Amino acid sequence: MCVGVLLVEDDERIRQALSLALSDEDFTVDEAGSGEEALRRLETESFDVVLVDLTLPGMDGLEVVRTLRARGDLPIIVVTARTDARDVIAGLEAGADDYVTKPLMASVLAARIRALLRRRGPGREAVRIGDLEIRPHEGLVHRAGERVHLTRTEFRLLLELAGAGGRIVTREQLLQKVWGYDYFGDTRLLDVHIRRLRRKIEANPDDPALVLTVRGTGYRIRS
Amino acid sequence: MRLTLRCRVTLSFGFGLLVVTSVLALATWNLASGYMLRQREASATRQAEVNVRLVEKSLSSPGLDELLTGLTTGPDSSILVLSPDGLVTAGRKVEPSQLPAELVERPPGQARITVGGLPVIAVTRPVAGNAVYVELFPLQQLDRTFGFLSAVLIAGTISSALLGAALGSWASKRALKPLAELSSAAGRIAGGDLRARLPDQDDPDLAALAAKFNSTAQALEQRALRDARFASDVSHELRSPLTTMVNAGAVLRRRREHLPGTAGTALELLTSEVDRFARMVVDLLEISRLDQTDDYEPDELDLSALVRHVVATRWRAVPVSALPVRVQGDRRRLDRVLANLMENAERHAGGAIFVAVRQDGTTARVEVEDDGPGVPEALREQIFERFARGRPGSRGDDTGSGLGLALVREHVHRHRGRVWVEDRFPRGARFVVELPAITKS
Repeated sequence: MCVGVLLVEDDERIRQALSLALSDEDFTVDEAGSGEEALRRLETESFDVVLVDLTLPGMDGLEVVRTLRARGDLPIIVVTARTDARDVIAGLEAGADDYVTKPLMASVLAARIRALLRRRGPGREAVRIGDLEIRPHEGLVHRAGERVHLTRTEFRLLLELAGAGGRIVTREQLLQKVWGYDYFGDTRLLDVHIRRLRRKIEANPDDPALVLTVRGTGYRIRS
Repeated sequence: MRLTLRCRVTLSFGFGLLVVTSVLALATWNLASGYMLRQREASATRQAEVNVRLVEKSLSSPGLDELLTGLTTGPDSSILVLSPDGLVTAGRKVEPSQLPAELVERPPGQARITVGGLPVIAVTRPVAGNAVYVELFPLQQLDRTFGFLSAVLIAGTISSALLGAALGSWASKRALKPLAELSSAAGRIAGGDLRARLPDQDDPDLAALAAKFNSTAQALEQRALRDARFASDVSHELRSPLTTMVNAGAVLRRRREHLPGTAGTALELLTSEVDRFARMVVDLLEISRLDQTDDYEPDELDLSALVRHVVATRWRAVPVSALPVRVQGDRRRLDRVLANLMENAERHAGGAIFVAVRQDGTTARVEVEDDGPGVPEALREQIFERFARGRPGSRGDDTGSGLGLALVREHVHRHRGRVWVEDRFPRGARFVVELPAITKS
């Protein structure tokens, strides 16, 4: 299967080099030089994942991410030149599934994309937690009978937690299983996603009743 | 040994006050005791003269004895009448031989003497031609008063000297307080905290000093920030071209077999140096970010789990002995610390052979051991410096950024911990990281 990647980056040389290197990793890469162009193309064409540089001329990278996230759950990886916590968190809050910082290597990026697109485990039974119903093979979550829209990453995060049946899942396990991270435990990536997930499934996100924090270790779902 | 300024001020205040109050006390003593003595003498003389007239009238009558007994004023006073017919005495028993001869032989006279162990005022008067009247007035009462007075004066002098010393100590402390603040602020700056400032001073003498100090510190901080920002800007600007280079390099490396001979070797050189360059820029950015911003995000975590996790990701073969230790730390930074130590061992000593985590009282200890050539004593501090190529002979094939151990040290310091390297028996080096542990009370 060939994975289609849309690369949104204003620096033409980076775009070219990354396209070449990602092609070597067996991806089909399309390029867009600006946010506007990317959004235009995404209206008609379909891609498996979008890479968005946060510093774009014209339409801001964050704006692109927000617009795309509003449209659906297409996996998005943001590329930042800065590693400041603020930029990374802003990108993730806007709806990105993951982030990489420059200078990024195609091999690392490829691993990220593959982790993001990894198929869900074979048909698990539907899980009920309180008024939440998760149907893994359909990829659907209902809360009190109403459909909740989760991104693919949020869904997998929820599934990992639900699959543990109330046992603690460590931060490392979550990072490894959901994002394929095995190095440099990143607190921000997980924290922001947990926050996003809570906003969607908790009655009161500030006082979570379903996704509970286990201080210093990880998270667990209320069983 | 030279005494401290505070000590000297305290001593001179104490001594000064001691001198002043002693002079005052002495003067008081002289004036008061002289005055009281004169009063006593005058009253004794008046008394004696009245008595003499009474004695004169009944000198030859037989009632002289009784009269004299009536005239004595107390058990300690005595009256003697010496006449050619004999001696008549009353009151305390005193022999004429106990009195100074000059006083008895040439009346009238008066003197302060000690008779039979008692201080007295002796007054002599001639009576009826050839007899002598002698009366002794005891001074015990006055002596007791003098004793009390001198005790009061001495106590006053000593306590005022002590008060002076206390005052001196307090005053010098107050006067030197801005200096102590200055010293502590200067110490903090020397220790690397460029945000240390002196509080505003009300005193015009000190305000200028404080303002000068603060503006110097401000300039120093600005400059350090500017330097850090420059390093950060440079490495930031290098990121875009590096992204292109690294990825173009990866594409070329995949086609290595199409470039035989010289071109292939050159390609390998080029791509490996580009990779190293990329690592350097990333590390440089991280270290300059540490210099100018603080995104330390502490969290309570189990150090042993973190260490096991990092080792398991890339160094699965290295044995780990880790007991649970909870510390307050930033995961990303601690991950980085351990990974850098492991990479360092890999680069210079053929890889770590043992990793341990344990708790020593209130400190958590992480040890990374290798059996490489070890680190010579002289280089043990130096290898934690930025761009310090620690081990001799390794420069040629060194692929590190030169910042790995410097980053380790910065991160460990940020956690209020220490890191050092020591010898391992029988060979190799042991890198030790100590962090404050959370101890459950």
